[in-house]
Amino acid sequence: MKKYQNIKDKMLLIGFNLIILAIWEIAVDSGWIERFILPSPSDVIISLWVNSSEIFKHTKVTLFEGLVGLVFAIAFSFLMAILMDQVKWIKKIMYPMLVISQTVPIIIIAPLVAMWFGFGIAPKVFVVVLVCFFPITISLIDGLQSVDFELINLLKSMGATKMEIFLKVKFPFTLPGFFSGLKIAATYSIMGAVIGEWLGGKSGLGVYMLRARHSFSLDKVFASIVVIILLSISIFYLISILQKIIMPWAKFKEEK
Amino acid sequence: MNSYLKDNVLEVKGVSKKYIDEKIIENIDIVLKKEEFVTILGPSGSGKSTLFNIISGLINPEEGQIFINGENVTGQTGFVSYMHQKDLLLPWRDVVGNGAIPLEIKGFSKKESRDRVEKMLHIFELQEHGHKFPMQLSGGMRQRVSLLRTYMFSSEIMLLDEPFGGLDAITKFKMQQYLRDVIRKIKGSVLFITHDIEEAIFLSDRIYVINGNPAKVVEEISVDLNRPRNEEIIASDEFRRLKSRILKLL
Repeated sequence: MKKYQNIKDKMLLIGFNLIILAIWEIAVDSGWIERFILPSPSDVIISLWVNSSEIFKHTKVTLFEGLVGLVFAIAFSFLMAILMDQVKWIKKIMYPMLVISQTVPIIIIAPLVAMWFGFGIAPKVFVVVLVCFFPITISLIDGLQSVDFELINLLKSMGATKMEIFLKVKFPFTLPGFFSGLKIAATYSIMGAVIGEWLGGKSGLGVYMLRARHSFSLDKVFASIVVIILLSISIFYLISILQKIIMPWAKFKEEK
Repeated sequence: MNSYLKDNVLEVKGVSKKYIDEKIIENIDIVLKKEEFVTILGPSGSGKSTLFNIISGLINPEEGQIFINGENVTGQTGFVSYMHQKDLLLPWRDVVGNGAIPLEIKGFSKKESRDRVEKMLHIFELQEHGHKFPMQLSGGMRQRVSLLRTYMFSSEIMLLDEPFGGLDAITKFKMQQYLRDVIRKIKGSVLFITHDIEEAIFLSDRIYVINGNPAKVVEEISVDLNRPRNEEIIASDEFRRLKSRILKLL
């Protein structure tokens, strides 16, 4: 019954999207909307096919930057969360700083980042880390701090060290939160890399999009958007699969 | 039971504890002998859990000492095992894995710890559930696992803090009979906290009734009901006589 419901939900989603695409296609083909304002879905697919080798080359660069940034963001988040959890004054100082870091408009500081780190891969990775670390860090620190203190007391009464309490209780306890944060971060990662590429550089989907826009090839811009969406969704689902592998016990929640 | 001939495994001597400016417990003396089941009975909020935290070494008393096998261990953890009303099981570990935690903390390898727990499963009537996760178990079953974990840490002195407080009346009664059987099999010494008078009489060799503000031991009662006890004992004259005596103290 549940499986049937699942298929029904998916059909609904696909059907809805197909209808939207069909309306869009007809609107452009019939001349109701001019092609230079909005390319039709078929234009985008054709463009994706015709320019596939070029788009693939740029995609590789963006994907690499996004993934490297995400890995750095995860490492940085763990470091920050553990420090803030173990040392109270570090949390008092850093927590507001982390929030402030997210209120700074990235588009404005982005040129500065290019000045600091040059035009190579470093500034792109920096932007990805900047947008990705926040949801991961916050979910980690909130998870670490919401562990039942009676559970910690129980381990303490057994004579467990701080390290043992962290590894055996606190860390596994934060995993569900960590993955929620990571999923949010993952959807930002490709976006972050693209924004980083807008600052300047020679390759990447961001650069490709800018060039396409300057030459009014809107079909190429839309083709890039499609690729960005597909990449982001793929990373999101990869993380969901990873979560199911790492947290096999979570599936029992639904049974009771 | 001539338990008075046996050694004292645990002695609480003149323990007092203040919280901010208010005294919670005052001059508490408690003795637990080997293989004895002793209950601390008192109303909710009478500082029973504070006393357990002091015995387990998590907090220091203002006055008094804790002796285990004659050695002063006041403020030191790692000597007694502690079971809570909440099962506090780790959802990411199966039954055996949860039971193995205290052994891992003691320094045994993961495999060795699991092997040792596997061997004990049948005593705790968990042999069919060893590889289930806590989410798949009922409240009563989860408390069995919690008791198993408590035992794996130490059977010498087990502190049970209202372990069945969160269960419904029927499950609770089944768990009391289960606890009676398990404790007999593992020859454990138990210090038990409850506010349930019948539970206290049914399970205990001796009962310390604590009451007042700050809480003091108002009476020590010896329960001279024959063992093994069954559910019929609740209807006996002796049982009712003890119950009314305790009710007058509270």
